[in-house]
Amino acid sequence: MAERKQPTHAAPDAVLRALADPHRRQILRLVQHTELPAGQIAASFTLTQQAVSQHIGVLKQAGLLTERREGTRRLYALRHESLEPVRELLSEFWPDALSRLKKAVETAHPRPPKRQP
Amino acid sequence: MTAEIRNDVIVATEHIKAPPEVVFPYFTDPALIVTWIGDRAELDPQPGGVFSLDMGEVVARGAYLIVEPPYRVVFSWGIPGSDALPPAGSTVEVTLTPEGDDTMVVLTHRGLPSTHIGSHRAGWEHRLGRLRVAAG
Repeated sequence: MAERKQPTHAAPDAVLRALADPHRRQILRLVQHTELPAGQIAASFTLTQQAVSQHIGVLKQAGLLTERREGTRRLYALRHESLEPVRELLSEFWPDALSRLKKAVETAHPRPPKRQP
Repeated sequence: MTAEIRNDVIVATEHIKAPPEVVFPYFTDPALIVTWIGDRAELDPQPGGVFSLDMGEVVARGAYLIVEPPYRVVFSWGIPGSDALPPAGSTVEVTLTPEGDDTMVVLTHRGLPSTHIGSHRAGWEHRLGRLRVAAG
């Protein structure tokens, strides 16, 4: 690819799309703490190198990977901050929902005053 | 009330002043589930049955995997259409544990795409602190 696009802040939807594939999630795990060349990433999969390259391309487009050239090699690493919008979305979701559940249940079923039998 | 965040897992808890028998249908009855999540639901609470929830622009789809009234329900969860989280991509397990006349709800969302949730621990504790205040 001739152009080098590296979005600084991808929308949650683009990130979710990129994360929808288990192979792509596996790639992110591989480069979560370390920078790896494409060849070494591909070696961890039974997929063809071309398929792995495509996945890397999708992740790059979504802003999830950084790419650095070192001689003829391209090194990839996770852009941790790119997961921020998704994490934000999910980490707020359930606590907020359960807090509404509590309100809904306790409003519909108010505790009667306690009585001893 | 506690929150625990591990990689790819979110655990949320809530204490509700009603017994599990009362709380459980809020996870299986379409008319009750929309009182706290989503605005339209299609639910078939049996293993393999559909779990479908419209939440404004977002639609959550999945299937019930385990239904054990009134203590435990497990369903898969995802957002189809826009190719986002696949419907079978993650699972939500809800356990309702009696505490006297009340219920402790523990919701565990597993298989999330995020690879690095840990940095949000602080945000969670803040949020749960607020809930604790709200719950008295």
